[in-house]
Amino acid sequence: MLSWSDVTELMNVCSVDETGLKERVSSLATRSIKKDSKLQALNMIVSMCDLTTLEGQDTDGKISQMVAKAISPDPNDSSVPSVAAVCVYPGLVEVAKKAVSQSNVLVASVSSYFPSGQAPLESKIHDTKYAISNGADEIDIVINRKAFLEGDYKKVFDEISVLKEVCGEVHLKTILEVGELGSYDKIRKASVIAMSAGSDFIKTSTGKISEGASREACCIMAKAALDYRKLTGSIVGIKVAGGIKDAKDAIRYLVLIKEEIGEDWLDPKYFRFGASSLLNDVLRQIKKLKTGAYQDSYYFPRG
Amino acid sequence: MVEKWAYSESIESSDIVNLEKKYGHFINGSFVSPKSKKYFDTVSPSTEELLSKVSFGGKQDVDNAVSSAKEGFKVWKKIKPVERSKYLFKIARLIQERSREFAVLESMDGGKPIREARDVDLPQVAANFFYFAGWADKLDLSWSNSKFKPYGVAGQIIPWNFPLLMLAWKVAPALATGNSVVLKPAETTSLTALMFAEICSEAALPEGVFNLVTGNGETGSYLVNHKDVDKIAFTGSTGVGKQIQASLAGTGKGLTLELGGKAANIVYEDASIDQAVEGVVNGIFFNQGHVCCAGSRLLVQESIHDKFIEKLERRMQQLRVGNPLDKNTDIGAINSKQQLEKITELVESGVNDGGSIFQTECELPANGFWFKPTLFTNVQPAHRVTREEIFGPVLTTITFRTPDEAVEIANNTEYGLSAGIWSEKGSKVLWTADRLDAGVIWSNTFNKFDPSSPFGGYKESGFGREGGRHGLLSYLKEDR
Amino acid sequence: MSEVRKTYKMYVGNSFVRSESGRTYSIELSSEIIELPQASRKDVRDAVSQAKKGYESWSSLSPYNRAQILYRLSEMIEGRKASYIELLKESGIKNNEAKKDIDEAIEILIWYAGITDKWEQLSGNLNPVAGSYFNISHQEPLGVIFIFPRDTVSLKSLLLSLLPPLSVGCSSISLSKTAGALAVMLAEDLNNSDLPLGVWNILTGSYSNIIEDISKHVEIKGIGVNMDFDNKDFTIIQSNASESVKRTFRMNERLNLLSLHPFLETKTVWHPKGK
Repeated sequence: MLSWSDVTELMNVCSVDETGLKERVSSLATRSIKKDSKLQALNMIVSMCDLTTLEGQDTDGKISQMVAKAISPDPNDSSVPSVAAVCVYPGLVEVAKKAVSQSNVLVASVSSYFPSGQAPLESKIHDTKYAISNGADEIDIVINRKAFLEGDYKKVFDEISVLKEVCGEVHLKTILEVGELGSYDKIRKASVIAMSAGSDFIKTSTGKISEGASREACCIMAKAALDYRKLTGSIVGIKVAGGIKDAKDAIRYLVLIKEEIGEDWLDPKYFRFGASSLLNDVLRQIKKLKTGAYQDSYYFPRG
Repeated sequence: MVEKWAYSESIESSDIVNLEKKYGHFINGSFVSPKSKKYFDTVSPSTEELLSKVSFGGKQDVDNAVSSAKEGFKVWKKIKPVERSKYLFKIARLIQERSREFAVLESMDGGKPIREARDVDLPQVAANFFYFAGWADKLDLSWSNSKFKPYGVAGQIIPWNFPLLMLAWKVAPALATGNSVVLKPAETTSLTALMFAEICSEAALPEGVFNLVTGNGETGSYLVNHKDVDKIAFTGSTGVGKQIQASLAGTGKGLTLELGGKAANIVYEDASIDQAVEGVVNGIFFNQGHVCCAGSRLLVQESIHDKFIEKLERRMQQLRVGNPLDKNTDIGAINSKQQLEKITELVESGVNDGGSIFQTECELPANGFWFKPTLFTNVQPAHRVTREEIFGPVLTTITFRTPDEAVEIANNTEYGLSAGIWSEKGSKVLWTADRLDAGVIWSNTFNKFDPSSPFGGYKESGFGREGGRHGLLSYLKEDR
Repeated sequence: MSEVRKTYKMYVGNSFVRSESGRTYSIELSSEIIELPQASRKDVRDAVSQAKKGYESWSSLSPYNRAQILYRLSEMIEGRKASYIELLKESGIKNNEAKKDIDEAIEILIWYAGITDKWEQLSGNLNPVAGSYFNISHQEPLGVIFIFPRDTVSLKSLLLSLLPPLSVGCSSISLSKTAGALAVMLAEDLNNSDLPLGVWNILTGSYSNIIEDISKHVEIKGIGVNMDFDNKDFTIIQSNASESVKRTFRMNERLNLLSLHPFLETKTVWHPKGK
């Protein structure tokens, strides 16, 4: 955590040149990841997935099915690792926690009036406490975009600090909702505020608006995290969510992280994919590499 | 340095390329054996293996090529301008169709990474032919009510750093404006030019309009001094450029020169730092630094020096040096043993002068010509590494405190080809651009090229422009 | 054995369509009489909504891309030269004249394809204002344009009217009556040329019932008529256009920069220079 005056100083060096950023991201997308390095990447991606369901129609039964898939993504291939976590609404934390009990899969819960965050702080605290009391290992909150876009950055900072205090040892991921912030400068600014206020992870998106994660947004957040580590010694993790459809794209994120900020972040402790349909495509790619043939989705269990 | 996740090799196959054992000159529409009866070897700089043997252009060979171009000019002059357009559009199309083959050959012959040949060189080559094709039938528009005519036979000498792209920059406007051409490619990189000659045949370009004579400096001087050549266009070292200029004195021949550079890349404290680091790296390490407009002097504002250098070194460590045909290679081979010796000598002098160096930690292949990306700090404006063009992956750093100082240091060189300015303050960028003595200025970007954008230098970086409607003037003279 | 007869349709939003009114008109060719759709007011409105989409995509392509697409169109037309000549002959034009018309049309297309990535270098410029300012004037395409080309069966004439707005990034809708079949034939080649949806729309028929709608439609940003267009009808267009300050003009049908000018808006930007 940093003091507010340190934060204001950091916020003054948040300018980003959009054209230069896009060029760098495009250039990294030309990396050709094949053979062993591809298989290694695909396995890493699986281990970095937060298998997610955040729907009005989620039920205990749906969660149990998803957890089974999270623990054993490809029952026919035990060399494929478990995912990192499952991500659910607070009301489903209890059933998720029971289901993961024989594994290393963590349970993450959204809170703070996800996805809009349009509620008083007291409600957000209540939401968070409820999820933690039900056993959540990680909490994914949203920043107060209303305050952010009104220019009340201190309010954004204070809210996150309070929620981190509520979390205690429980990992706090702070969702910036990059699709709503308007420019890359703002994404960097939001990253700085979120990290300085004590977040353990910064996350791109809720997945609930049409504009989700992008490699450009991830790059800015990553650079901010790298500079933050230099300043404070703490590693803040990065989570990308919303719109990562296939394995090819996910591999590009790994390339970006590796080359822009380094391999320390290539670990489920510090990098996550918020995924639902992504996992199946990764499993298909793994199978293809191992057997030489593409699989249909019905070979892999529903989750 | 053990990586957690190392990239596997991803080699672009060279099967697509069919190399002959030896090549002739391309004169009057066909390949002919050299009258000199001599051939010379052309090797791959990344492996030192022999690729092929190329004809040596002696006096007679050059003479034949120029005669052919003289006849070719007569034919080219008679046809309708829109027909010239059509030939050039056709050539552009054929290049696009064989892009991959060209890119692989360029990478093998010159040492540049396949990714760059594929993503930068070849698209620009096609774009240049497309762009200039569209000028052929509307030259009357280009400079208001001026009346123009072509020079006649254009003798063109090009370097080894962007062999096919430099060919396109020269040949496309020359042909579009109605001139015929005798081209002399660089000694170490003739192969893509020879393949281009095949394209000209395929496009049924009238015989004699495009001619190709391979060889070395001697061949070039026969071309420069030939009485029937009406215009010389040269891209290469400042030393040779001055010799050519002296040779042409009093002859009435047209001349354009595109020579060396020692560009300043100015980073102000209010730059977007991460993008500036990227731009500085691109500015000097793109194409192994074999770029005349390379940003080889980093001028960084003292207040951000340490932070910037730390980020720069970190970024340099990500550069992948190795087999140019590996799609993941960033830095390929140095073009020749000669060039490698020159770079090595200059870098040693910099160290002896008291400079500190940082180099990318990497394993260099056993064969071939290689140099690690290098950064100098603690160097002074008086040191040779700061003044002389190295033409390799070597960046030297100087600090400044005020904008006026930045401009003064940037202009303190006999060169004036290009410069870079990094700042988020628009008015300062424009103020600085106004004061820099450079023909191409990139703000918050670097090494950007487009056929419509004029390129060329101030001072000893040469004169004349290539590209855009200004570039047409290199090949047209006023019809009085 | 009876042949399969060609159905002539208009070209809107990269699809071949009949008039929603179902009405047609006929053209007498030497070997047969053909029916073409008579464009209705609703057809015009549909075309405008396609052309709006077309304008967004066309104007956001790089000039280089637009040049390549127009050049590809010339390749398509070159490949079907014999068919064009045949249609011109069927319309009563002598063989030599027909051949000349098509050859010149292709040269005109090549001229415009090549100006696409160059006109801005000739029409835009820095202005030497007094004071420490960077001042630049540059041009942007107007938007959706409606064109009335000459009503003669000539590909050269058709292209001279239709290419200028396209070269600079506008999308267009044109109406041809006597030249309807030729326009539809051109549409077939447009369809093969990678033009994005809605960039170039071709309607057929007479304009008497739709001239009001065309001249009053606010989303049509400019109306270009050929040099021979009836002045009484042009007056109707111009007075209706005044309701939305729509730009109207007679096209000069020449290969020069002025042919492009009516389809452009000039924007001048100032920026101070100082440390």
